Amino acid sequence: MRAIDYSLHEAWVSLWRNRAAAAFAMVAIGLAMIVLGALLLVTWNVERLLAEWSSATEFSVFLDDTATSEERGAIEALIDDSDVVEAREYVSKADALTRFRREFAELASLADGFDDNPFPASVEVRVRPEAEADGRAEALVRRVSALPGVADVQYDREWLARMASGLDALRGIGFALAVVMALAAAVTVASVVRLGMQSRRDELQVMALVGSPLTFIRGPFVAEGVLQGGFGALVALGLLAIGSALVNVSWGAQLAMLLDGGSLQFLPARLCAALVAGGMLVGGVGGFAASRHAL
Amino acid sequence: MIETHHLSKLYSRGLYALHDLNLTVDKGEFVFLTGPSGAGKSTFLRLLLVQERASEGEIFVNGHNLAKLSRRDIQEYRRGIGFIFQDFKLIPSRTIFDNISFVAQVLGVPPAQQKRKAFQVLKWVGLQHRMNAYPHDLSGGEQQRIAIARALASEPVLLLADEPTGNLDPDLSLEIMNLLREVNAGGTTVLVATHDRELIRLVGRRTITLDQGRVVEIG
Repeated sequence: MRAIDYSLHEAWVSLWRNRAAAAFAMVAIGLAMIVLGALLLVTWNVERLLAEWSSATEFSVFLDDTATSEERGAIEALIDDSDVVEAREYVSKADALTRFRREFAELASLADGFDDNPFPASVEVRVRPEAEADGRAEALVRRVSALPGVADVQYDREWLARMASGLDALRGIGFALAVVMALAAAVTVASVVRLGMQSRRDELQVMALVGSPLTFIRGPFVAEGVLQGGFGALVALGLLAIGSALVNVSWGAQLAMLLDGGSLQFLPARLCAALVAGGMLVGGVGGFAASRHAL
Repeated sequence: MIETHHLSKLYSRGLYALHDLNLTVDKGEFVFLTGPSGAGKSTFLRLLLVQERASEGEIFVNGHNLAKLSRRDIQEYRRGIGFIFQDFKLIPSRTIFDNISFVAQVLGVPPAQQKRKAFQVLKWVGLQHRMNAYPHDLSGGEQQRIAIARALASEPVLLLADEPTGNLDPDLSLEIMNLLREVNAGGTTVLVATHDRELIRLVGRRTITLDQGRVVEIG
């Protein structure tokens, strides 16, 4: 405990004494954390949306214009008898046209020019999330597709899967970039800590000669790195919060349309804490590397 | 307290700083180590502080075979050794009081005990009234007294002094020697490396003379 107290006190004094160089190291860590934080912000928001969309998975069974009421009855019976459906709604051709006119008001005049109603009747099915996850929904879609009277079945899993795989790629690239930047930040911290070490040469020599434990000799340098990393990450979080608020203010309408009326949400507390801990870890690694030159 | 057996220190250029040294310093003794510049006095002290390792032979200090000490053992061992250098090695950015309490602090001694001990040794060297001054505010003699106080803060069993009066005039040198004699009277073994023959004569203790890394006289 005394070693921790001593290390934190000495680290604080050293940070203040070498504040210009320390600020430089904090900027380096801050930049790495901004990259990592921005990546987390984007992926977390997209994952959140994907989870929402996944939980509200639907498929639409479009009927042939020539489908008989018996065929429609068979389709609905197959859907109702399955244990994967949460809700089902029949949308007639007239309902589909009305919906088009309501949802695309600016294109309503286009619909007036139709000789015939071009919209097919459909059965819209909301799937239970667990049935979507274990593949039963997909099996039902395949069976419904094979029934007479079905023109097409639109199941929105494919683009969700494509988006999830795109997200994985983005995560991989961003993570690699963040690792490279974190390494650069750790090297910067190590250099700055070593710079401060020069001004403590006399103390270190005395400490070594009196048999001071390594925790007292190296501790202040590790603590200095941890503090630099923590402050850098906090600054990064602050800038990310401002950035995400500005994005919401500047592109709120576009985001609302893209995100089903939602907005870009800032990282939850656990991810913020993880980011700060990550900064402290990067700084601590840099400080520890530097501390090996203390003797 | 100190025993060496066929101790040698060979540097890479093939030069012996110490060659086949066999000597003994008893517990509670006050011994001078003397000889001309380059005789091996400082090398011997560095070996005793385990700042360097012997090339051949063995050194035993207070029962420790110094060749077999691990890094952690060295830290433990050094806690029982006090040291004084010609250039004092005080920390310029710390006050006199902090220079002394710093030793106890980095050894993990509780704060109240650190302060009590620092004040006690400052009082012992008669400089308690300068406790808030910085090293550069003090004379050479005062700085060396502070260095002695710092060495005593860890209550060492062995005190090593490398030319402790090298930067001081004869009167101050004798004053410092008197302080070291008092330390020795308290039971601490004292080994002083100096080339000042006059001082040795005035203090009058056992003397080991080195020349070109060999013991040439014990008297």
